[in-house]
Amino acid sequence: MSPSAPPLDAHPHPAIEVVDLHFAYPHSPTAALEGISLSVAKGSFIAVLGANSSGKSTLCHALTGFIPHFYRGDFAGRVRIGGLDTTTRSLDELVQVASLVFQNPLNQISGAKFTVREEIAFGLENLGVPRAEMTRRITEVMDLVGITDLADRSPFALSGGQQQLLALAAMLVLRPQIFVLDEATSALDSAGSRRIFSLLHQLSRTGMTVVLAERKLEEIAVHCDRVLVLDQGRIILDGPPRQVLASPRLEQCHVGRTRYSRVAERALTFGGWPVDRSLPVGFQEAVAGFLHLGSKR
Amino acid sequence: MARVVSRSIMPRHPSLALAGKGIAFRLNPVTKLTLVGCALLLAFLIPGWWPPWLLFTALAGFAQINRLLTALAKKLLKIILPLAFFLFFIHGLFYHQASAPLTLAGVDLSREGLLFALQMTGRISAALAASLLFVLTTPTADLMLALSQRGTPAAITYIIGATLQLIPQLQARAAAIGDAQRARGMETDGSLLRRIRALLPLVLPLVLGSLVDVEERAIALEARAFRVKGPKSSLHELPDPQSERLLCRLALILTLATIVVVWWG
Repeated sequence: MSPSAPPLDAHPHPAIEVVDLHFAYPHSPTAALEGISLSVAKGSFIAVLGANSSGKSTLCHALTGFIPHFYRGDFAGRVRIGGLDTTTRSLDELVQVASLVFQNPLNQISGAKFTVREEIAFGLENLGVPRAEMTRRITEVMDLVGITDLADRSPFALSGGQQQLLALAAMLVLRPQIFVLDEATSALDSAGSRRIFSLLHQLSRTGMTVVLAERKLEEIAVHCDRVLVLDQGRIILDGPPRQVLASPRLEQCHVGRTRYSRVAERALTFGGWPVDRSLPVGFQEAVAGFLHLGSKR
Repeated sequence: MARVVSRSIMPRHPSLALAGKGIAFRLNPVTKLTLVGCALLLAFLIPGWWPPWLLFTALAGFAQINRLLTALAKKLLKIILPLAFFLFFIHGLFYHQASAPLTLAGVDLSREGLLFALQMTGRISAALAASLLFVLTTPTADLMLALSQRGTPAAITYIIGATLQLIPQLQARAAAIGDAQRARGMETDGSLLRRIRALLPLVLPLVLGSLVDVEERAIALEARAFRVKGPKSSLHELPDPQSERLLCRLALILTLATIVVVWWG
């Protein structure tokens, strides 16, 4: 958010460093995460994909310190966020480095505030941010997320999508170094999702590290720098979106493919897609492929 | 630079509070809360049947000054009339009789019982009038802000605000569960037995769902630094003049002095 953020190469330590992480919930026979090792550079925009119960939410909680501080269980390995070890630092310290937004927006509303503006101020008030600074930041973030016109509405009088935007604004206003979103665009329509993906991309370019557990593959293909795929608590794919989203292993672990890949695959069966081209993951690649075939004919 | 937000431009929230410009609307909520506390102490601790009624008359006069008498009367009468009827009926008939009974339409009524009922009705009326005046003139947001400004722990103001706002949410969820169960063929109307049977499938999902939500809500609060120690700040600021603080102290001293004089004087 801050335009004066230092360049990425000025930070010697990765924003997130996970070494051989293992976590199992109490009374669970299987590990939710197993052998996770990960290094994320500051300013990256990473998507985490996986089927239900693949460990996406657990990883999000581990990257924000809620595991092991909030969710107790069998924890092994090391997680460092913003240079802080999540096992030795308190949750109070960690929440000032990494922010988490999750799927159900209603549960993220504090319930103690009566307007959208006051709701966004809640975290800043807890951190003792001076009033003038608070007002400035709230105005800025409402504008950024596109909820300025809702400022004086009750948070409970908003639609699900508007509440989701409010939840995003309420965390963004804290200006975290690391912003973790667990399916946080699920309540948004496609235009709203696009806008948020674009915003997150823009924020990552200013130095904020964004980790996003998501299912919207088309948006991920366009905006993310890197994609991780989890299956049964393990990372099975890790790489640039172009490479990961084209992998046939995505279907095997029930993540699916982008609609462009599916269309091109279908077209391939009747010669509607060039055989010498790999399947597209994004819109522009798909258009280029079909145009290429058209020009050859 | 501190920005003082006048109450007139504070956003209004769903509560019983009315809009107005009288002194009752301008007082700091904590001042009003203190005065209500004093009124309750005086109403219940001063012996005799007339002091509560005197206090009630004063409160009605204060309501009239603030153009709240009609609103106050409407709410008060709904509660007090049935209560007064039962108080007079029960104490008139069954209270211990030390003097000659008062015969009314052929029914012997205890004079002491009627006086006791009069005193109790006066006490309850005064207490209700004071409380309702507070509620009618104080938006919940202002109360929470004022409590916070006077150093009330954030956890307590949070509990007050969240309780007030989450009750309608719970009601909405209960209605949705009821609709869902009815859509699946459950009968919720009819005989008492049928209604009792329908209660469990309504209450259980409500309670379990709320318990699951508690976990996410707790994470959401933690994530927004709710438990971070250190000085807090506030987006708004309510006027809290020294004169009102003095008024609070004076009211408390006078109340306690009156009680001491009446009881031990």
